Amino acid sequence: MNLWEVFVLDLGELPAGKDLELTIRTLNPGIHKYTYKRVKCEVSGELDQYEDRLQVRFGRGQLSDKRFSIRVIEEVPRIPAKYL
Amino acid sequence: MVAPKDTREFIDACLKTGDAVRIKQEVDWDNEAGAIVRRACELIAPSPFMERIKDYPGFRYFGAPLSTYRRMAISLGMAPESTLPQIGAEYLRRTNGQPIAPVLVDRRDAPCKENILTGTDVDLCKLPAPLVHEGDGGRYIGTWHGVITKHPVRGDVNWGMYRQMLYDSRTMSGAVFPFSDLGKALNEYYLPRGEVCPFATAIGLSPLAAMAACAPSPIPEPELTSMLAGEPVKLVKCETTDLEVPADAEIILEGVIMPDVKVEEGPFGEYTGYRTSPREFRVTFRVNCITYRNNAVMTISNMGVPQDEGQLLRSFSLGLELEKLLRSQGLPITGVYMHPMSTHHMMIVGVKPTYAGIATQIAQLAFGSKLGPWFHMVVVVDDQTDIYNWNEVYHALCTRCNPVRGIRVFEHTTGTPLYPHASPYERKYSMGSQVLFDCLWPVDWDPVNDVPRLVSFKHVYPKEIQDKVLANWESYGYPPVK
Repeated sequence: MNLWEVFVLDLGELPAGKDLELTIRTLNPGIHKYTYKRVKCEVSGELDQYEDRLQVRFGRGQLSDKRFSIRVIEEVPRIPAKYL
Repeated sequence: MVAPKDTREFIDACLKTGDAVRIKQEVDWDNEAGAIVRRACELIAPSPFMERIKDYPGFRYFGAPLSTYRRMAISLGMAPESTLPQIGAEYLRRTNGQPIAPVLVDRRDAPCKENILTGTDVDLCKLPAPLVHEGDGGRYIGTWHGVITKHPVRGDVNWGMYRQMLYDSRTMSGAVFPFSDLGKALNEYYLPRGEVCPFATAIGLSPLAAMAACAPSPIPEPELTSMLAGEPVKLVKCETTDLEVPADAEIILEGVIMPDVKVEEGPFGEYTGYRTSPREFRVTFRVNCITYRNNAVMTISNMGVPQDEGQLLRSFSLGLELEKLLRSQGLPITGVYMHPMSTHHMMIVGVKPTYAGIATQIAQLAFGSKLGPWFHMVVVVDDQTDIYNWNEVYHALCTRCNPVRGIRVFEHTTGTPLYPHASPYERKYSMGSQVLFDCLWPVDWDPVNDVPRLVSFKHVYPKEIQDKVLANWESYGYPPVK
């Protein structure tokens, strides 16, 4: 199980069962903790819906009490190939 | 004392005077190091020199490098107990002379080239970028550093302290505001043309280079650093760009600012003592090369409530640069100072009030200069008020500033997204407003019969009485006054 985190302004940005595109960061231990990726994903307020967990922070870094499960479908490249 | 030439000499000097403590136990980069630095700032305690970092053997941290006036004095090679006016006078003396050009050294003589990562070896997570505050938008690798760029047309070199957050292993985002030197270069040149802007980030700068990177001076930072040090600063060519970086910096990141990519940055604990600026899509840096010294020392500034470098050093350099500007215009000022507790929002100017409207002239110059977006209050007091003594300034503000004549608001000016009092819309577009508090007695008041007389020990008693009372103070039964 992976643990992810996302910043939103409102929990309404995380509707259950919809195809979403989010910028999430990993909270898995290790030197790459807090690095980001852009992903297509689905989330659910049911913690056993998907294998990975997602926690949420608001605009000024406040941690939400609400937890989600998440399924990362695929990564969305953000950096054009000419810079790779 | 001699001014320390690099971070390591500075740490040694601070350890010797008790202005730094050596922390030998392992410290976690994830919140713990930041919490240590924050507490040291709030207690105005010695700098923490952390020698073991979890997950990062061979790296070290030095926190809160210049968050006290004592450490600022040490960085200038002055006695730690030097007073603030003495430190300010020394800064002005060194930076009012002829610029001193830096020298270019061979890469073999540059400690920052001891380790070089290129290609697939480049991974920013190999460096101990801390999570400075719980809830920050990311790990901030650049909190006390210089982002080095060169203007593509004029050739001006800029070392600016633009915070930088890790996005992924090779990408950083940063807060570069449109009124800053780099912001202007990007918006005037690079972004409209779709050209990449080469950059280098130098972490673990000498304290004087960091002081120069913070100073809103018209003198280019390499020359300014050399003037502060009294000798040429040593630079070395980058590996992947034609930029030149301080040869003795601890860590160098080389790469390009991408004109067509913006990723999220923030939120972050800021010098105002709040997380204010919104999480935004901001300037995005792609890193192509990392070089670093053996046992590199990463410097950390942890901004928050006073006092840290954000308030102390910026207050110091903004005040002194405004003093230079006002003197260059022939204004009879007695000094300029920002109290760190104002989080460099309130500029206090002392002036001999020789003509009408002088306070407004000062405010217009201050707000209209390149320094202006960084503060929104100017308080002008007369030459009898000690600008370094907040009690005197506060008393003058509360008693001499007329609510109608004395307060003048300047609307629709430039601000920063970091202003806690600004609306979300104003923050997004760097809009501001500013205010003058004119605490001068009007020049058309009769100085003998209209101007109130200050009633204080030093103003109303004859000198011989003052001397007698001071001489007998302890014999009256009072303890000595320190």
